[in-house]
Amino acid sequence: MQQQLSDIELITAILEGNTAAYAELVKRHQRYVFTLAMRYAKNREDAEEIAQDTFVKAYRALGTFKQSSKFSTWLFTITYTTAMTFLRKKRLLTDSINDEESGIQLENHISSYQANGIEQRSGYVFLNQAIDQLLPDDAAIITLFYKGEQSLEEIGQALKMEPNTIKVKLHRARTRLKEKLQFLLKDEVKELL
Amino acid sequence: MKTIDEEIWAYIDGSCDALERTRIAEKIATDESYALAFQELSKLNELMASEELEEPSMSFSRNVMDAVAQEIAPKKLNTKVNNGIIYGIAAFFLLSLSAIFIYVVANSSPTVSTAEFKLPSPAFNFDLSEVLSPLSMKIFLMVDLTLALLYMDRLLRRKMHANKTTLS
Repeated sequence: MQQQLSDIELITAILEGNTAAYAELVKRHQRYVFTLAMRYAKNREDAEEIAQDTFVKAYRALGTFKQSSKFSTWLFTITYTTAMTFLRKKRLLTDSINDEESGIQLENHISSYQANGIEQRSGYVFLNQAIDQLLPDDAAIITLFYKGEQSLEEIGQALKMEPNTIKVKLHRARTRLKEKLQFLLKDEVKELL
Repeated sequence: MKTIDEEIWAYIDGSCDALERTRIAEKIATDESYALAFQELSKLNELMASEELEEPSMSFSRNVMDAVAQEIAPKKLNTKVNNGIIYGIAAFFLLSLSAIFIYVVANSSPTVSTAEFKLPSPAFNFDLSEVLSPLSMKIFLMVDLTLALLYMDRLLRRKMHANKTTLS
């Protein structure tokens, strides 16, 4: 069986002209990037736009990747800046929407989860709901720490923050997540947690 | 002072030292509040670690590759930037500065005594007023004005473009 090429080997191949190898890199990291984008965008359409933009930007800048950090860390840095730019543009367009309306939107979002029946009453659905209610940075830190296999230093690098700040934010995010899960699950929380 | 949750998270993450780890393990074994917190946080930790990642649409990677196909193929940065040019510029400035320094030192007459210390006065053998003629000043101001106008034009264009983007 052919051994899977590492990220660095794939990047070398792309830089040497085998641009089709980029498809493998996209396939390998698309779920991480998309999940991270979801933490900021909160809806699939916007998240796909952010994720797609991230991969295009990464492709353009591939020659500048110094290989002193993991490719995934570098990619998450691009995802973060792309998401920030996207949200800034979107905020300019939706300045008229006040906090009250945002609250209603959030409730609808939760009720759509609840309306989907027994199958979704699993821990993961509630966990996703709870993550959605966290601050975008906190939600991204949780994702990077648990799913991106990133150290506190690497997360700090991607989000342009000190590792100690990330440590504090991670603790805060986990505490809030626990509280939100307790609120969402009420009596079921003891079975789940 | 650390809270119970902070201690338990450090224990679960393995971010505390061996001594601290042993102390927390003992607390979990003997203290009910620690045991309960450990049970809760371990389950939350397992839940987060085993959570599935979001899946983008089926056409996602194809869309990315289509967008990427429109781009210029990336190349290693060292092929884009010629190091020779960078070193050449650096060498030019270093040589110029060294030449000026040597010239100034060679043409100066330093006077050092115990009572007073005077900095060496460089003796330049050219008349500065010849260089700073009214014509050269006019050219200098004209270039400055042109650059300022170009900068203003660029700034206003950028603002206009930003406003357009916001409105659309």
